[in-house]
Amino acid sequence: MSPQFDSLKQLWDMAGHGPYVWTVVLVSLAVLGWLLIRPVQQHRDNLQSIARQSQRQQLQQAASTSSAEPSEEDK
Amino acid sequence: MAAGRNWNWFHRMGSPRWFYETTGRWLPWLWVLTLGLMLTGLIWGLAYAPQDAKQGNSFRIIYLHVPASFLALAGYYLMAIAGAIGLIWKMKLSYMVMKSAAPIGAALTFIALFTGAVWGKPTWGTYWVWDARITSMLILLFLYLGVLALQYAFHSQETGNKASAILALVGTVNIPIIYKSVDWWYTLHQPATIKFTSAPSMHMDMFQPLLVMIIAMYSFYGLALILYTRVEILRRERKSSWVRELALRTQPAQVDQ
Repeated sequence: MSPQFDSLKQLWDMAGHGPYVWTVVLVSLAVLGWLLIRPVQQHRDNLQSIARQSQRQQLQQAASTSSAEPSEEDK
Repeated sequence: MAAGRNWNWFHRMGSPRWFYETTGRWLPWLWVLTLGLMLTGLIWGLAYAPQDAKQGNSFRIIYLHVPASFLALAGYYLMAIAGAIGLIWKMKLSYMVMKSAAPIGAALTFIALFTGAVWGKPTWGTYWVWDARITSMLILLFLYLGVLALQYAFHSQETGNKASAILALVGTVNIPIIYKSVDWWYTLHQPATIKFTSAPSMHMDMFQPLLVMIIAMYSFYGLALILYTRVEILRRERKSSWVRELALRTQPAQVDQ
């Protein structure tokens, strides 16, 4: 197993087939990369929004119980 | 009771929470495996594999074209089987896997078609022909997009799941046609290079990096499918206590007090 090209320039040119091969490589890697990045971002965004919602609910519950307690004692 | 115990694993596997937690432990390894194999296979195939006697360097496109096509087809079976399990056993997780498989399969089919078109130009002198293999792959792309579209076409998630699953199952007719198309209609597309029944019709120095890329693509598929399914689990289980606890535990305070 030995390198087929003597220089990066030759690897890029591929004896005239470079434009075809490298277009394929770049487009394919872009699509594959997008396939992985998208769910990672959505996962993070989902967790954040669920956390925000849960915290808001906790605060509301805490507020309603603390405001409700004195009125209970007033009776 | 014994029968009940035997089916325990099946029910546990159907639990989104179990899936989420188990795959969470696999993810770091899958990332390393996928990126490592992909990098190795690409460098090997692009720079070290010998060039083809007839096609020259354009043949190197095979290192993306064949693995993507393999997984585009295998992924369709997986999606259809997940849909069938959802229809028969009403398993929620199974529908989530089916939905996740659709965009991945569509993207891989697109890669297969795109790499094939670019490869066609220096080899056949044209980007596109209405050859049986190519046309049936285009139909595969539309089937994937159809399954995805049906998921969003109904107000009820349940109806969308059933419709998607039925389309996925009906579409499996197309898969053997794709496999056999190069033998039934001998046109431009060359016959399969790799067969289970005989030695590959290519030199070992060319075949080894291809094998690495095929394993890399399987690993990639597993990784992507797990990532998408986990997002779907969070989305559909967002009201359940384990998801809320997970979100509160992993996310820093979001609300200003």
